[in-house]
Amino acid sequence: MSFLILSQILNGFATGMLYALVGVGLTLVLGVLNLPNFAHGTLFAFGAYFTYTVANLTDSFYLGVLIGPLLVVLIGFVIESQGVRRLYAAHHDYQLLFLFAVALILQETVILIWGPVGFSLLPPKFLAGAVDLGFTVYPKYRLALILFTATIVVALYLMLTRTNVGAILRAGIENREMVKVLGIDINKVFLFTFGLGAYLAGLAGGLATPIWGLTPTMGFDILPISFVIVVVAGLGSILGAIAAGILIGLAQSLTTIWWPEAANVVIYLIMGLTIILRPQGLFGSR
Amino acid sequence: MRDRNIFLIVLAFVVIGPFVQPKVIITEMLIFGIVAVANNIMIGYTGMLSFGQAMFFGIGAYVAGLLLKAGMPLIVALPVGTLFVLVLSIAVGYFCVQRTGLYFICITFAFNQMFYFIAYSWTGLTGGEDGLPGIPRPSLLLDPVAFYVFVAVVFLACLVAMKRIVDSPLGLICQTIRENPSRAAAVGYNVKLYKLTAFTIASTFTGLAGTVYAMLYGIVPIDQIHWLKSGDFIFMTLLGGTGNFFGPILGAVGYIWMSETFSLYWARWPLIMGIVFVVVVVYLRGGIVELIGKVYGSIQRAREAP
Repeated sequence: MSFLILSQILNGFATGMLYALVGVGLTLVLGVLNLPNFAHGTLFAFGAYFTYTVANLTDSFYLGVLIGPLLVVLIGFVIESQGVRRLYAAHHDYQLLFLFAVALILQETVILIWGPVGFSLLPPKFLAGAVDLGFTVYPKYRLALILFTATIVVALYLMLTRTNVGAILRAGIENREMVKVLGIDINKVFLFTFGLGAYLAGLAGGLATPIWGLTPTMGFDILPISFVIVVVAGLGSILGAIAAGILIGLAQSLTTIWWPEAANVVIYLIMGLTIILRPQGLFGSR
Repeated sequence: MRDRNIFLIVLAFVVIGPFVQPKVIITEMLIFGIVAVANNIMIGYTGMLSFGQAMFFGIGAYVAGLLLKAGMPLIVALPVGTLFVLVLSIAVGYFCVQRTGLYFICITFAFNQMFYFIAYSWTGLTGGEDGLPGIPRPSLLLDPVAFYVFVAVVFLACLVAMKRIVDSPLGLICQTIRENPSRAAAVGYNVKLYKLTAFTIASTFTGLAGTVYAMLYGIVPIDQIHWLKSGDFIFMTLLGGTGNFFGPILGAVGYIWMSETFSLYWARWPLIMGIVFVVVVVYLRGGIVELIGKVYGSIQRAREAP
């Protein structure tokens, strides 16, 4: 039993790190642009499908994960510069409806291009198979995933806290108007943020393919989870999104041991508890 | 135009509609008309955008469907289904109104998906992915004309009830909260309580529409509780126009007409709907109501010009 629990904790970390990537992306867009990005889930799906296609064309999973998410960034740039930016003057409800429409269009585009049937993608040879950890035999790919995403998350955190670009983004979350007044081109900041959010969603999608496979609805399935992460984290809190992502991943995989059907519901219970006990979110201040 | 005249136009649509279009489609328009108008009590009157109204529509449909399947009469199934949604929406709403703005949207959205997953996993009760089939209609409503008359009566009754609510002092307080929540609080109104009331009223009417929907095709597909449906509800309300009480009815009619038409020609019709959403957002803010207003205004002006 304890072996099972330990390996489920590892599984929870693997899922949780992917959630953290998606959650941080959504949090950045939400915080800086003040927009709930309903297209975030479909960007995750595009990341997975692009990775799959590039990996098949080049015969290299690594190239897929390198190039796939960058293609998603291009989609993100188009959404921001051609759509969202023109709607800042409009009422909030319309921006939201616009992003919902983009989600619908992208979702159907996935089915148009790749068909309604799902695919699976094998991890690269080097990471295939399992490794004996002493207490359990564990798939190599998942271990690598945990290490790699942890590196990405740390790098992202350092970028946000230690560089000028990060300072501007965090300032944007705190007070958009002030950033504008200080002479920073807010349009560039928005474009960069949306692109970064799209990249993180796409990267998570690409990295998830060997574990979850590819289905056309994968984007719509992850979207509610990423919203839960934002609520649990606290609006605009990067550190919170990382912690909440891991927490939710762990909760889901531990629930699977005892009551698999409830695994998808338990994350909403966590959200409900957060709203009662700490309405501003785990790391939120507002 | 005065409200009484608009109401007469709605009445004319209800009477003439089934002679022009298939009854099933007009029935669907009326059912979703209730939802869109109820949604506007929140969006237009109180300034709250809920992205989770499909949960109440779906749950109303499931509860009424299960009761009808268990052999309960209509007079029990519909009120119990509606009451169930009323109680549930108070509980869910309590959590949602704790936060405002983006947070409120995120929370309603997430709760929607929680109930979706419950319906999806509880296959023994809800039929899971396949939906809940085999819901009987009471023998009195078996005839399509009788069912249409029943739905039309429910629709008009809901419309009158909701109109009375938004014209009451409660409706005015809601509008005050929309304009300035802090000032409303400063004057002494319990803002959260009124928001919860608006949330509950809108959700209960949505649930009532759901109970009627369960009988329309005799099946509750699981899509009816998915968050995508919540997005469609918002679209209906915005397409019609939030500035007028009756506006969202036009949105529901337009939405049903478009989805019925497009889905005949192309399996990927949601793509076209997405494009229509974008067009509405870019060119038709204020909805059909504003468009009619503009056209009406320019005709007026053309007439006055010599």
